[in-house]
Amino acid sequence: MNATDETASAPQGDVTRNDNNVARRDIENVERALIDQSARGPVLTFFTMAIFWLLVSVVLGYIASKKLHAPDFVLGPEWLYKLLHMQRATTTIFEHLTYGRVWPAYTTALVYGWCSLAGMGVATWLIGRLTRVSIKAPAVLQFGAWFWSAGVAVAVITILCGFNSGLEMFEMHRAARVCMFIGYLCIGIWGLILFRYRRQSSPYISVWYLAAAFFLFPWFFGTTDVLSSMPLAGVMKNIVNAWYQNGLFNLWLGCIGIAAAYYLIPKVINRPIYSYNLASIGFWSWIFLGGLTAMTRLSGGPVPAYLVTISVAASILMIIPIVTLTVNFVRTMKGHTGLMASSPTLRFTFVGTIFFSIAASLGVISSLRSVDSYTHFTAWTHGQMHMFTLGFFSMVMFGAIYYITPRLVGCEWLSRTFMKLHFFGTAYGAGTIIALFLLGGLATGFALNEPTADKMGFYNVEGIANAYMPVKTYIGYTLFGLAQIIFAFHFLLMRLRIGQPAGEPTLLETPGEGH
Amino acid sequence: MQKPSILFTGIFGAFAISVGAMVLIPHTQLASMQPQVQWDEGQNSPGDVYPRQRSIAGREVYVSEGCFYCHSQQLRDPQYGPDLERGWGSRRTVARDYLNEDVPLLGSIRLGPDLSNYGWTMKIAEKDGSEKSVGVWRNEHENDPKKPGARNEQWIYQHLYNPRTVFSDSKCPPYRHLFETKEIGEKVSPNAVAHNDSHQVVPTHEAERLAQYLLSLDRTHELKEAPTVIKPKEAKK
Repeated sequence: MNATDETASAPQGDVTRNDNNVARRDIENVERALIDQSARGPVLTFFTMAIFWLLVSVVLGYIASKKLHAPDFVLGPEWLYKLLHMQRATTTIFEHLTYGRVWPAYTTALVYGWCSLAGMGVATWLIGRLTRVSIKAPAVLQFGAWFWSAGVAVAVITILCGFNSGLEMFEMHRAARVCMFIGYLCIGIWGLILFRYRRQSSPYISVWYLAAAFFLFPWFFGTTDVLSSMPLAGVMKNIVNAWYQNGLFNLWLGCIGIAAAYYLIPKVINRPIYSYNLASIGFWSWIFLGGLTAMTRLSGGPVPAYLVTISVAASILMIIPIVTLTVNFVRTMKGHTGLMASSPTLRFTFVGTIFFSIAASLGVISSLRSVDSYTHFTAWTHGQMHMFTLGFFSMVMFGAIYYITPRLVGCEWLSRTFMKLHFFGTAYGAGTIIALFLLGGLATGFALNEPTADKMGFYNVEGIANAYMPVKTYIGYTLFGLAQIIFAFHFLLMRLRIGQPAGEPTLLETPGEGH
Repeated sequence: MQKPSILFTGIFGAFAISVGAMVLIPHTQLASMQPQVQWDEGQNSPGDVYPRQRSIAGREVYVSEGCFYCHSQQLRDPQYGPDLERGWGSRRTVARDYLNEDVPLLGSIRLGPDLSNYGWTMKIAEKDGSEKSVGVWRNEHENDPKKPGARNEQWIYQHLYNPRTVFSDSKCPPYRHLFETKEIGEKVSPNAVAHNDSHQVVPTHEAERLAQYLLSLDRTHELKEAPTVIKPKEAKK
C-alpha cells in the first residue's frame, strides 16, 4: 500500500482532474497525447489486423465445431452456389476441409492472429504510456505487424491445404515461423528500447508482466523452432511441444492479459492497486511456476514420470499466484463494482480477470491425477484453452481496445447499443462454448472410463458428444461470431472517425441513470 | 518495487529453470535411449524388437489429414484409465515405443478411439498346421453386436470413404478426396468402396498408404519396462 504515490502515478486516472494541480496535470495530459499520437499508427494497425483474424478464426471455429456433428456440411447459401454453378467446387473444397485441418487452422488464427496481435498492440501502447517515451520509428512496428500477420496467413493457408508439422499449436510451416519471428523482432525490440529509455524510474506492475512476456516469447518460440527441426529421440519432441504450449498460454498470453488488467482496472476506477506486495508475490510465482506446469498435458503418457510429478506439484502451487492476483483485483474493485454498469472497459476487463481466475483454478484441479484420469483426452482440455483465450484474454483485450482506440483516433465510440450487444454476445457466446466443452468433456470422460459390456462401444462416447456439439455450434459460435461482427463494424466506424465527439467517453449507461 | 536488473535476471531465471527442468534434463535422459535388444534369443537388430517398420509415406497422409487431433497414439497404465480394457492394447506405451518416429503423434484428445496398436495381430495355428494372422485390436466389447468382423484394408477403405456406413454415430469425416472414380476394367476391384455397371470408386495411393500405415501400428511387443498386462483373448483359441 505504501509507495503507491510514486509508482501508481501511471494508473492514476485522467477521468477526474485535481484542481490544485491543473498545471502539472495539463502538462501530463499533453505529454500523454503526444505519446499516444506516436503510437497511433502501429497500434491501430495491430488492432485492425487482430480484428480481421478474430473474424477469420470465428468462421473457422464455426466450421470446425460444425464439422464434428455434421461432417458433410457446406458453409454458405446453397442457392447461391447453385446459381453460380459452383456447387461441385464448394462441395469439393469443404470435403478437403476436414476437422483435422480446420481445427489447427482455427487455433492458429485465434492464438497467433487475434490474441497475439491484439496483445502486442495493447502492449505497445501500454509500454509507451508507462515508460512515458514516444515511439520514434512507428514504421518499424508497422513493418513488424505486417510480417507477423503475413506469417499467420501463410500458416493458416498451408494448414488448410494439408501441411502440418505434427506439433500442436506449432503446426505452422517453417516459412511462416520465420516470417512471424522477423515480425516479432521488429516489435519486441521496440519494447526493449522504450524500456531502456523510460522516464519512469521504477516500473509499474504492468511493465513487469510485459517485460516477462516480450522477453520470454522469443525464447520459447525460437527454442521450439530449433528443437523441432533437430533429430531428437522420439517423445522428446512431444515434451518440447507441451512445454511450448504451456509457455505460450501462461507466459505470453497470460502475462500480456494480466498486464493490461493491472493497468486498466485502477485507471478506470481511478484508484491505486490494492497491494504492491501481493502483486510482487503474484508476479514472481506466476512466471516461475507458469513455466513448470507443462507436463500435465502428457500426464499418464510415455514420458518420464518425474516430469509429470514436477508439473503436478507446480500446478498445485499455482494456487499462490491465482489467489494473490484474484485478491488484488477484487480488493481493488471493492466498492467500485457499480462502475461496471457504465464503463465498457471495466466490464470487459473485470469479467476477463474473473475468467482468468476460474481458468487457472481449473488448471489446478484438473492437474490432480484423480481428476485428470477423467478429463485427460477429452474436450475438457479444449474448454480450458477456450476459457483462457476467449474468456480471459479476449475479454481483457476488448476492454483495452475500448479504452485505447478513442485516445488514438480522436473521437468516442459511436453506439452504446453496439457495445452492449458486443458484451452480451461475447459473454454468453464464449460462456456457452466454454461450458459445453467442459461439460461435454466431463461426460465423455466418464463414458470413456466405463468399459462395461453395454457401454463400452466407442459409439456411446460419440453419442454423448453428438448431443452437446450442435448447441455449441448453433448457440455458442453463432452468438460469439455475431458479437464480433458488430464489434468489427464498430471498430471500422472508429477508424473512419465516425463516432461521438471527443471528450466524454461513451458509457454503457449515463451515470446517475441508475443501474 | 522491482529494479530492472533484478526483473530481467528473475525473468531469465524463470526461463532457465523451465527449460532446464522440462527440456534439458529429460533430453539427457532420453537421448541415450536405445531400442531394446533381445540378447537371449541372439537377435540384435532393432527390426526384431520393432516387429514392423512403420509405413512412413502413410504417416504423412495421417499428419496431413490431421488424424491426430481426434485419435491418440498412447496408452496409459491401467491405474490411469481403462485404455487396455477397451481392447486398444496389451500394455501401456513408453518412450521406447516412439524412438524411430520423427514427431510421435501422441495426440491429446480422443474424439475417436486410440490407434496405438491398430494393426495388432495374433498368429493362430490352423488345424492343418499353417498359421493365420488375425486382427486383435478392437474398440467394442467382444460380444458387441456392432463389432465388425475384420478390420482389414477393405474395411478401412469403407470407413474412410463414409464412416457412417460402418457406425451410424461416427463423427469421423468422410475422406472422399482420397478416392477416385475409375472405369471398371475386367472386374470390380476388391478395394472398391462403391461401383455401378461401368464405374467404380477405388482408393488413391494416399488412401492405400494411409491404410498400410494404420495396419503397421503395433506397439504390443514385450518391453522390460512395460510388461504385458492384458493378453488378447483370441490367442487362447
